[in-house]
Amino acid sequence: MRNRFLALAGALVIAAASASLGSAQAGQTRPAAKPAPAPSKAIPRTADGHPDLTGVYDLATLTPVERPNGLPAVLTDAEAAKLEKQAADRRELLSRPSKADRDAPPLGGDGSIGAAGNVGGYNNFWLDPGSSYVQIDGQKRTSLVIDPPDGRVPQMTAAARQRMLANRNARPTSDAGENGNDPGFEGNGAYDDPERRGLNERCLLGFGSTSGPPVLPNYFYNNLHQIVQTPDTVMILTEMVHDARIVRMNAQHLPKTVRKWMGDSVGRWDGDTLVIDTTNFSEKTRFRGSSADLHVVERISRIDARTLRYRFTIDDPDTWTAPWSGEYTWPTTDDHIYEYACHEGNYALANILKGARLKESNDAAKKTKQEKF
Amino acid sequence: MRMKLTMALAGLGLMTLAGAPLLAHHAFGGEFDPNKPVLLKGKVVKIEWVNPHAWIHLETPKPDGEKPCEFTPNAKCEEWMVEGGTPNTLLRRGITRDSLAAGTELVIDGYQARDHSQLRANGRNVTYPDGRKLFLGSSGTGAPTDGADPAEAGRGRGRGRGGL
Repeated sequence: MRNRFLALAGALVIAAASASLGSAQAGQTRPAAKPAPAPSKAIPRTADGHPDLTGVYDLATLTPVERPNGLPAVLTDAEAAKLEKQAADRRELLSRPSKADRDAPPLGGDGSIGAAGNVGGYNNFWLDPGSSYVQIDGQKRTSLVIDPPDGRVPQMTAAARQRMLANRNARPTSDAGENGNDPGFEGNGAYDDPERRGLNERCLLGFGSTSGPPVLPNYFYNNLHQIVQTPDTVMILTEMVHDARIVRMNAQHLPKTVRKWMGDSVGRWDGDTLVIDTTNFSEKTRFRGSSADLHVVERISRIDARTLRYRFTIDDPDTWTAPWSGEYTWPTTDDHIYEYACHEGNYALANILKGARLKESNDAAKKTKQEKF
Repeated sequence: MRMKLTMALAGLGLMTLAGAPLLAHHAFGGEFDPNKPVLLKGKVVKIEWVNPHAWIHLETPKPDGEKPCEFTPNAKCEEWMVEGGTPNTLLRRGITRDSLAAGTELVIDGYQARDHSQLRANGRNVTYPDGRKLFLGSSGTGAPTDGADPAEAGRGRGRGRGGL
């Protein structure tokens, strides 16, 4: 078994892993927390002398938000190459032809999990999840999270766990008794009305935390973002689902009574770094279970003419036992950002709700029939 | 220790492998019925090149179909709508709504919408009749390449993390 596994993993990885163990120590190595680079003449600047952050950036990456168990903080070039090749091989595998004379998929579902809900999603050729690891200061990172040094988001507070549980109980839950033959179905009530569906499904706001803050990759597609910058305002546009966040420069936060879905963002320059401070969140968006008192500080600086460094710090004592931080690069892309226009073809939501109405009437008819006999 | 890291790396690879096709815009399980698998063989009528999902309209011959087929002479057809992914990623590879010509023959397997009065299904796997995946390689109908080969003229710029 061991030999087979080693063969699977490949000699390259083993050699690379051995070489890296000196610094790996089971994922506890903190990535070098170097200060922002000294002002460079090489970077583009605006007329008022600040770094010009304007551009379109593709945030797709293989580096996950949290470090997978057992991985070091930093991959050697050989380890990264191995994993990047695995991802490329997977794409190649999924691009291969299917059987021409195939049958319909299995009755009762194909066993797929998550959003694909036992019916599968769609072909891989639609996806663009990223093909390489984040590299900062010459380090290929295995997590966006850099603090705590284990690359994992700190534990939630007891109060936050209770809050999450209450929210979960307020929302529909899976009912194994009634839906035992239908594992992709979320359960009674989940599809009753549009407001029980997620913000992304309703085309209201991006996926996970694509819009942010903090801005995070979604790991499947449309990870493009655009920054437009003037002396008074910085705008960060997220392609999916077309969310524009306006950062007011050198301004005060709005009164606490004013709550916004992406929070209230104000910016200032700290040397060559744009610092964005965001508070005043609403209860509509709960970043990983955060409270409306979430406080996000983002620091955006230029590494070079085609790369930004994006750092974020999350502080929400009601939710996490400690503040935590992450960073990754925003590489410039020459590709075009397109309008997402999510409402234009959102048949899916209507299909979901129609399906729920049909189930409702079928269940009612069944009940009536049972009562009669 | 060496073994542990190797296993972690292999595990990460597997996680990446398993994850890709399962991500989606919405709850597929709420939209489509796992007890209604379908295999559709027909010809493209049109494609709605819209977000959050592109929809391929496909006519499939059926003796008691509701209307005459557009692309199969002297036959009746019904029209299915099949859900795909976002057009944006394909647009970036040079694929447009015109890349999938009307009349192109396709084979699609998926599951029908939970509301069975609708001829709608998810495009779990969309291929040409010989099994090749849609938009990958030449379709013989003018569909361009997918841009994966950097040598292809004009497109195929590096996606993901460049500029480092």
